[in-house]
Amino acid sequence: MPIDHKRINGPEDTLPYQLFTKLNRKSLEQKYKELVQDGKRHDSRAPLEHRKIFMKTGVVSQAKGSAYIEVEKTKVMVSVFDPREIPNRQDYSLKGEIYCEFKFAPFSCEKRRLHQLDAEEKQYSQIMKKALEATVCRHEFPNFQVDIYALVLHNDGSALSAAITAAGLALSHAGVPMYDLITSATLGIQKDTILIDPTTIEERICRTPFWKEKEDNEHGLVVLSMLHTHNQVAQFYQSGSISLDKLPHLIETLEKACADTIPVIQQCLVKHVIKTIKKSSNVIEV
Amino acid sequence: MAEQYKSLHPVKYYRDYLSHNIRPDGRVFDTFRPVILNTGSIDTADGSALSKLGQTTVVCGIKAELCKPKAESPNKGFVVPNLDLPPLCSPKFRPGPPSDQAQVLSQLINDIIENSQCIDLTDLCIFPDKLAWCLYIDFICLDFDGSVVDACIIALVGALKTVKLPFVDYDAALDNIQVNLENTRPLPVHSIPVSTTFAIFDDKIILADPTVEEENLCTGIIVIVLKDDELCCVHKPGGSPLSSDELLGCIEKSKKKVPLMRDLLKTALQDVG
Amino acid sequence: MEATKYRCNLDILSRPDGSVLFCEGKTTVIAGLYGPVEVKIQKAHIDKATVDCHYRPKSGLPGVEDRLYESFIRNTCETSLVAALFPRSAVLIMLQEMQNDKQLISCAVNAACMACLSSGIDMKFMFGAVTAFLTKDEELVLTPPIIDKDIKALFVIVFESTEGRILACHTEGCFSKEQFNQAVSICEAQCINVFKFFKQTLLDNK
Repeated sequence: MPIDHKRINGPEDTLPYQLFTKLNRKSLEQKYKELVQDGKRHDSRAPLEHRKIFMKTGVVSQAKGSAYIEVEKTKVMVSVFDPREIPNRQDYSLKGEIYCEFKFAPFSCEKRRLHQLDAEEKQYSQIMKKALEATVCRHEFPNFQVDIYALVLHNDGSALSAAITAAGLALSHAGVPMYDLITSATLGIQKDTILIDPTTIEERICRTPFWKEKEDNEHGLVVLSMLHTHNQVAQFYQSGSISLDKLPHLIETLEKACADTIPVIQQCLVKHVIKTIKKSSNVIEV
Repeated sequence: MAEQYKSLHPVKYYRDYLSHNIRPDGRVFDTFRPVILNTGSIDTADGSALSKLGQTTVVCGIKAELCKPKAESPNKGFVVPNLDLPPLCSPKFRPGPPSDQAQVLSQLINDIIENSQCIDLTDLCIFPDKLAWCLYIDFICLDFDGSVVDACIIALVGALKTVKLPFVDYDAALDNIQVNLENTRPLPVHSIPVSTTFAIFDDKIILADPTVEEENLCTGIIVIVLKDDELCCVHKPGGSPLSSDELLGCIEKSKKKVPLMRDLLKTALQDVG
Repeated sequence: MEATKYRCNLDILSRPDGSVLFCEGKTTVIAGLYGPVEVKIQKAHIDKATVDCHYRPKSGLPGVEDRLYESFIRNTCETSLVAALFPRSAVLIMLQEMQNDKQLISCAVNAACMACLSSGIDMKFMFGAVTAFLTKDEELVLTPPIIDKDIKALFVIVFESTEGRILACHTEGCFSKEQFNQAVSICEAQCINVFKFFKQTLLDNK
């Protein structure tokens, strides 16, 4: 690890202790079989069942808008700041810009993350940006930039979807003009097994190409974000290899999962509105 | 109307309040904000805690890794604390390498950990000169509303108390490491540091546990850290000069916080079991 | 108790507006001050000068620990300088550690004060720092103990010259409130000598 003069540095080489545990010698086939047993996953969900979602707005007092999302163990915070002028910008851009930063906390994953953004985080930032650019009315603030920061406190799979969903909520909390509410869902696939909202363990299995020699080597992750009322896809990301025939079915499944999340966001926003009205009416009474 | 007045004449706005011996958030000068502590909620970390001090929120996560001890101190492990002030927590911060403020606060927290001796580095040694624990203690500020060091120290103690290190079997002859995840031990925490921040307003009024607005307008900051009855840090980096009596008065005030924090920790850790 | 020896050479560098080589016991620091000079737009204040401090350790690049010293010295100087006289400009204070015998911070603060004085920049008051050590035998001394392990605690206290109030304070190690109080009073007494030394040096250099 290179020495960072702006941080307190530890010893040069440190190794995670998990490397030295008694190795999990299960074969890939065994792992695959254990993915779904008796129609239930390891956390006793059905394959197409999403985990419960909890969301809250207004968690960062200093930010214009903020949201916290908890998908069981996965916890993500997002904050949004006022549109600000783009520094060192010569030309005039008709559309406002969106700046996204997606970061894993150092302790959020099994392996310690470094402080600098790594390739994965940069990629996720880009995906988030693409998803949100489709949602925000960017022509409303030409030549300005909206900053959106997402921080994963605890990663137990599907962190990117959680971040996009929370970012949508945070943007509406901040009062940034938007076309629609955005929700996102992740799906993992391995051979014939399709899992909605995979956990870290499931994500890892879905990422590995198991049967290289066979033809039906289908595996991978799909992330889809939807604009609710317009019923439009805002962003689509897929890794791994999935056959073209299967894709429409997967997208349909994801669309449904996205639609299921909408009431949670709506409730959350209604709660916020009621709270604000109560607060302002209190002031008038006084 | 008050909102406009506040943003146009922030100092005057504060003076009006303070002349009536009250702060805009309804506190008197030496009351602290309510504290919330939640421990052990992040299981990817070996120890974790989230603390809230009014609006200020800090999450602390500890990750333990294995390393070789330094040659000059073969029976000591390492503690590496870092505070991150991400742009998420306040519009003041920009993305990129840590700001000067983050670096100063990281070092201050490092000094507090060292001075309070809450972690004995020899407890982190597994096999002298061969293997030791390195605790990466990462603090992330989620909401920057003043007195961040206080919130960090509360989260630190909460997180340290939840650390469980697995048992490591080390064979020196073969240089073979075997980690047993089922058999864990808690990390001994030798003392409980309690930090209190004060802000000096208009060179004379001392405000305990300032919010970020108060910190921005004030003319000086003092951080006092106590462990049990002893002091382990009196940090006043410049700012309005104070007489020694005033400084001792602050120390007296910060003493009030120690039993409160001890009770808080007790309740917070009871929930975990 | 042997009194700490102070030595000081003014204007040892030709480029800065004020420069000084300051020795406190066996600790030596070189300080240089530029100011008021031009400032970067991002850093400029509309109502006062920006005070910036750069500290360089004896070897290697400055790290996080040095940032704490920097902020400590920077804030101390900022309080003492009449920054409101020079809006939209900067005052830069450069410090170079030459030798450290446990009195580094107080020596650096004193060097910074002498650099300010020698440059002739407007100040509200002088400031002087004293380091006191609490030994293992619970004894307070001003001269650094030879063995590191004998130090139980260390106090660096900075006083201002007009009313003798505490301007800044930094401590290491554990101590009781009474010990802190004692340390403040012996540092206060010693600080009078520091100010005397400052004045004498300036008179000698006329």
